[in-house]
Amino acid sequence: MSDKHLIELFDVSKEYDGDAALKNIDLYVNHGEFLTLLGPSGCGKTTMLRIIAGFVMPSSGRVLMEGRDVAHIPPYKRKVNTVFQKYALFPHLNVFDNVAFGLKIKKLPKAEIERRVNTLLELVNLKGYGKRWVEQLSGGQQQRVAIARALVNEPEVLLLDEPLGALDLQLRKGMQVELKRMQQRLGITFIYVTHDQEEALTMSDTIVVLREGVIQQIGAPQDIYNEPRNAFVADFIGESNILPGMMACDYRVRFNGREYPCVDAGFGEEQPVEVVVRPEDVDILPLAQVGGNGMRGVVKSTLFMGVHYEIQVVSDGYTWMVHTTDAVDVGWQVGMQILPDAIHIMRPRP
Amino acid sequence: MKRTVFAAPYAVWMAIFIFAPMLLIGYYAFTDGGDFTLANMRAGLDAMYMQVLIRSIWLAFRATLLCLLLGYPIAYLLSRMKHGTATLLSVFFVVPMWMNFLLRTYAWQVLLDSGGILNSLLISLNMPGQQLLYTEAAVLLGMVYNFLPFMILPVYTVLTKMDASHIEAARDLGANGMQTFFRVVLPLSMPGVISGVTMVFIPAITTFAISRLLGGGMFMLYGDLMENQFLLLNDWGSGSALSFILLILVIISMAVMRRAERQAGEEGAKLW
Repeated sequence: MSDKHLIELFDVSKEYDGDAALKNIDLYVNHGEFLTLLGPSGCGKTTMLRIIAGFVMPSSGRVLMEGRDVAHIPPYKRKVNTVFQKYALFPHLNVFDNVAFGLKIKKLPKAEIERRVNTLLELVNLKGYGKRWVEQLSGGQQQRVAIARALVNEPEVLLLDEPLGALDLQLRKGMQVELKRMQQRLGITFIYVTHDQEEALTMSDTIVVLREGVIQQIGAPQDIYNEPRNAFVADFIGESNILPGMMACDYRVRFNGREYPCVDAGFGEEQPVEVVVRPEDVDILPLAQVGGNGMRGVVKSTLFMGVHYEIQVVSDGYTWMVHTTDAVDVGWQVGMQILPDAIHIMRPRP
Repeated sequence: MKRTVFAAPYAVWMAIFIFAPMLLIGYYAFTDGGDFTLANMRAGLDAMYMQVLIRSIWLAFRATLLCLLLGYPIAYLLSRMKHGTATLLSVFFVVPMWMNFLLRTYAWQVLLDSGGILNSLLISLNMPGQQLLYTEAAVLLGMVYNFLPFMILPVYTVLTKMDASHIEAARDLGANGMQTFFRVVLPLSMPGVISGVTMVFIPAITTFAISRLLGGGMFMLYGDLMENQFLLLNDWGSGSALSFILLILVIISMAVMRRAERQAGEEGAKLW
């Protein structure tokens, strides 16, 4: 337990009427970190956020902020602010008063409130919108007001609950960049909830992958993508070919009727495993380059994706998903190659 | 066949029971049995009648205020209860409304009478009996009792429909319970409050039976006055003039409420 951790969760569980929403969560969040809670709906990510915000009490376990137990500290006394999923802007107040809400509660001098609100409105590119009513704003603008309303209180931590979920794709991309820039500029810790793996990969310093209330993996985006700890993570983060396999011995794995060299060890001999190969790690070769016992297949479908083609190749009864820049046609015979470090070995799912 | 055809029976109903009586009121108010005259209106604006009108407004105002002060907390508590409990409790407020208005008011007469239940109770406790019936307070009590559900229901509806995330947002931004209530819950429930005030104030200002049954005719209200003109004095001219004045007053107060409602948000209009 080091004091540089801003938030720490120890063995936190939460049950709703006997159903476990979170199971034995251990997690710490550092100062200035952009941490993303990622998982499909119902995985407990929002519950975790609400526990940190103080809206939900954990059934067991401890939550520390700056080393102090916050079990009995209500939401309004925590140095945490939330950007809600549907913004939850106050419809009876205009933009200025929405943003000023927290400062007025703190009874700050009028001049200071005005200065800070205007600074924040400028930060979120809404200068001059103070007098507008919330319902006159577009979804993207409401989103910015919600962010300004939370940030104006200068929280230690900003909690964001799927904040971009209601925006269209283009706006979402823009806001992702903007949010990340804001976070870096202000140096505030962000805890960000999303089910969008791409969003998580682009923005985060650390990703926490959750499934059915259990943490699957914690790590930097690159680690999570390149070294998924289990098949669920591999499947959820990006697209994957997942095959059942058998570890012959260290550095040798057998799947789909062939034996391949790999870089993983320590699974024992003749142990069942799951093999994960990313679609972009399968190389397509002309038939001529494939040796006598090389991997071959027939192209089943191709889909042009802009930069690359997404093709399906049937080989020994398994349909591989492959991303390639080579143009091939349906029905072609092609050779395939997978390098040892592109083969990820995982213990099978229970 | 146009769909408007189906509205025809309603239009006929409105013509017979709403427009025709109003036209008749206008006719009697501005004629003396054939010729146009302003004499009825002049009589209707007589200082003595105005005094009754002001007393009626003042009493209706106090009844509305009491209904609000009682009804809002009740609606708030109901809205925070479990759904089943709240439904059960709201039945207690609604069931008396199924009984005839006059019967309910007669019941209070029995309760408040000098030989009634409340006084019997006081005397059995060796306390002096009180004159409860035929006081202004009794009239006010009757109004509040009769109109309270009309305040509770719209406020309750608005409060239960309120988005819980607004309350969470207020808590998140540092507001404690009181601050959350006064800065978020109360303003957001204004459409319900305005509906409730309208639903109470307008029947309260036109009421006549309550003041006669519980006030014993000692507190003549505008409704009683009109009734007397028509049924006691058989003076349809000045009775219609008084009706006309009250009608205008009601229209003005409805317009004021509508304005307030629009400012408080669109939701209120959908409540009734």
